[in-house]
Amino acid sequence: MRALAITERDLRRFSRNPIVLIASILMPLVYLVIMGNSFQGELKHLPIVVVDQDNGPYARRMLELLQAIQDGPHTLDMTRSSDQRAAIEGVKNGFYKGALIIPPRFSEDVVKHVNPQVGLFLDNTDSISAAGVSSVVSRSMSYLKSGYVSVRSTLAQSQFRPVELYKKIDYDASLVPGIIVMAIFMGTTFTGAFSLVMDKFLGIHESYLSTPLTKMDIVAGIIISGVLVTTLLSFIVMMGGMFMTGVKLAGGLVSFALLLLTIVLTALGLLSMVFVVLGRADHPRIVGVTIGFLNVIFFFPSGAVYPIESLPGWLKAFARVNPEAYAVHALKSLILKSTGFVAIQGDILFLLVFTAVMLCIATATFKRTM
Amino acid sequence: MAYAVEVKNIVKKFPSVTAVDDVSFNVDEGEIFGLLGPNGAGKTTLNRMLTCLIKPTSGQANIRGLDVVKYPVRVRRNIGVVSQAMTSDLDLTAWENLDIYGKYFDIPKTRRHETIKYLLETVGLANRAQELVATYSGGMRRRLEIARGLIHKPYILFLDEPTTGLDPQSRRVIWDLLNKIRKETKLTIFITTHYMDEADFLCDRIAIVDYGKIVVLDSPSNLKRSIGGFDIIEMLLSNYTPEVEASLKAMQFVKNITKKDEYTRVYVTDAAKAMPVIIEDIKKMHGSIDYLAIQKQSLEDVFIHYTGKTIREAEAQKTNFILGAGAPRQFPGGRL
Ligand SMILES: Nc1ncnc2c1ncn2[C@@H]1O[C@H](COP(=O)(O)OP(=O)(O)OP(=O)(O)O)[C@@H](O)[C@H]1O
Ligand SMILES: [Mg+2]
Repeated sequence: MRALAITERDLRRFSRNPIVLIASILMPLVYLVIMGNSFQGELKHLPIVVVDQDNGPYARRMLELLQAIQDGPHTLDMTRSSDQRAAIEGVKNGFYKGALIIPPRFSEDVVKHVNPQVGLFLDNTDSISAAGVSSVVSRSMSYLKSGYVSVRSTLAQSQFRPVELYKKIDYDASLVPGIIVMAIFMGTTFTGAFSLVMDKFLGIHESYLSTPLTKMDIVAGIIISGVLVTTLLSFIVMMGGMFMTGVKLAGGLVSFALLLLTIVLTALGLLSMVFVVLGRADHPRIVGVTIGFLNVIFFFPSGAVYPIESLPGWLKAFARVNPEAYAVHALKSLILKSTGFVAIQGDILFLLVFTAVMLCIATATFKRTM
Repeated sequence: MAYAVEVKNIVKKFPSVTAVDDVSFNVDEGEIFGLLGPNGAGKTTLNRMLTCLIKPTSGQANIRGLDVVKYPVRVRRNIGVVSQAMTSDLDLTAWENLDIYGKYFDIPKTRRHETIKYLLETVGLANRAQELVATYSGGMRRRLEIARGLIHKPYILFLDEPTTGLDPQSRRVIWDLLNKIRKETKLTIFITTHYMDEADFLCDRIAIVDYGKIVVLDSPSNLKRSIGGFDIIEMLLSNYTPEVEASLKAMQFVKNITKKDEYTRVYVTDAAKAMPVIIEDIKKMHGSIDYLAIQKQSLEDVFIHYTGKTIREAEAQKTNFILGAGAPRQFPGGRL
């Protein structure tokens, strides 16, 4: 078959440049480490300043609770101050993420049950830290009200950190499906249409355009080699990711086969889509720009790092036609929930239709002349 | 019998230039036909239309009676193409390059492998067949591409400036190779070049093109004759007497004799034929020749005659890209 000759050419050339393949396996795994630590890790060492104008027993109790959190999970780094204005100024200037002001009559109010209040000034330019500080403070407030004495010891327990090899870094197995999709996407950036763009850029395509190869041969041959390379590398990334996070496949061989099917279909769909977009490009820079753009718009609304349910309406609508969202859903079901085919049949169907449509457009719009 | 190549009023217009402007000619089977012209003359554009890589704006071209626009697939099976840019894959071996290319033509395995062996032998690359093309010299890579163009035993081989950028030895090797292949296979060869000596050495007929038009078309010797120029035999003679001069002038092929300093310049129609006779004559009259040089008229003179400029001048107006697409690529909006 002529198309397979194109595939063979591509594969042989990849085999002569193994560095690309190795890099594209390592990169998603490094992402796993980076993303695991930057998104999923708990907040730590948030600097706050405390102004205690009460000096009563409940203010002291509250400070002890906060101190325990500082010593335990290290969420806070507390500084004491007696100057309320300087403290608030410190938040504005970015020295602290928040300023906690305990007013003069605080302990008295607690005793009298007349709605005791503390003031909390937050740096709302950093919403994640602000939310963290706010939740810690309100937690210590609630402990205070219920008046449990045992609070301290409970918090002290969190000093015991798990020490298994892989848990030491805050990976999260829930990121593995996202990493696989990322690996698949990465595969589509240097195989498939990219090979064609490079051939055009170097003027090499002239050699095969003057043979009896048809449009179909060229498109199919290039996409087949892309699927093979991409599947191989995403599979290795998947195994690496599962090993690093300690996830085990519960479904055995069937799960394995379904995973493979999902990966192959996702690779096919994405490669066909990239071919549609880049089929007529003739310069690698066009690829660089386009791929960077596509990666962001498909990856973030895919449910890989942030739940699709929490996206605004218009983005949710986009996620419904985003192949990566279906891929992530299928991979999450198979890897994290050990479900069977029924749970992913919708995803598989979508990916099949998506691929078919993209392949048709790719072949129709591909220009066989120079 | 159909012509190997038949071109009728073919035109190719690009947005900014008419690259090929109403060109017509025929190429006989078994002929080596040369397209000679400076950079930008439209050689590659014409070549690409004949090899179904771009569509003509108007006009018609038939390859062995097959219209290039209507039957591109059948035409492609009849022709071999060696394009101006080097297009072999650097990260494959010579064998792999040929094998994969053979598969594009659906050649069955045994026949494919036999042909590859034969071709590698013919182009002198048999002992380097398993090495990556990246390790090849320019001349070797070119020979590999010629072999590749012949893998499906085409009737016509199109070569676009096959020796540009090669050193004189490599060029000579390729000329000999083309002559050998032509003798062995009765192949029709359509070659473009901007080297006078190449066209002169290889071609049965030459079309000189400039600004997309054929300026003149004939065999190299007819072309030279047509401009009425002469070969010049320049001699330093001791004992050059009026009798010697009279005797030389009496010869039929001597057109003129001039003296410049001590040198005598004899203008003849064909130096190769005239020289032995002249030397014999001078000996008979007891003259002796201390120095002799021949200045043969060349296609260069033909080119100057028909275009009003030397091919070097025409060349200098443009830079030639050996690597890259051959034709100057245009990047609208400065995409580069
Ligand atoms: N794809 C294209 N788009 C626009 N103009 C083109 C294109 N290809 C060729 N041309 C123009 O057509 C003219 C003829 O180019 P062509 O490449 O055919 O010349 P050539 O005789 O092969 O020159 P060279 O010796 O440099 O290879 C040039 O003016 C060139 O700029
Ligand atoms: Mg050219």
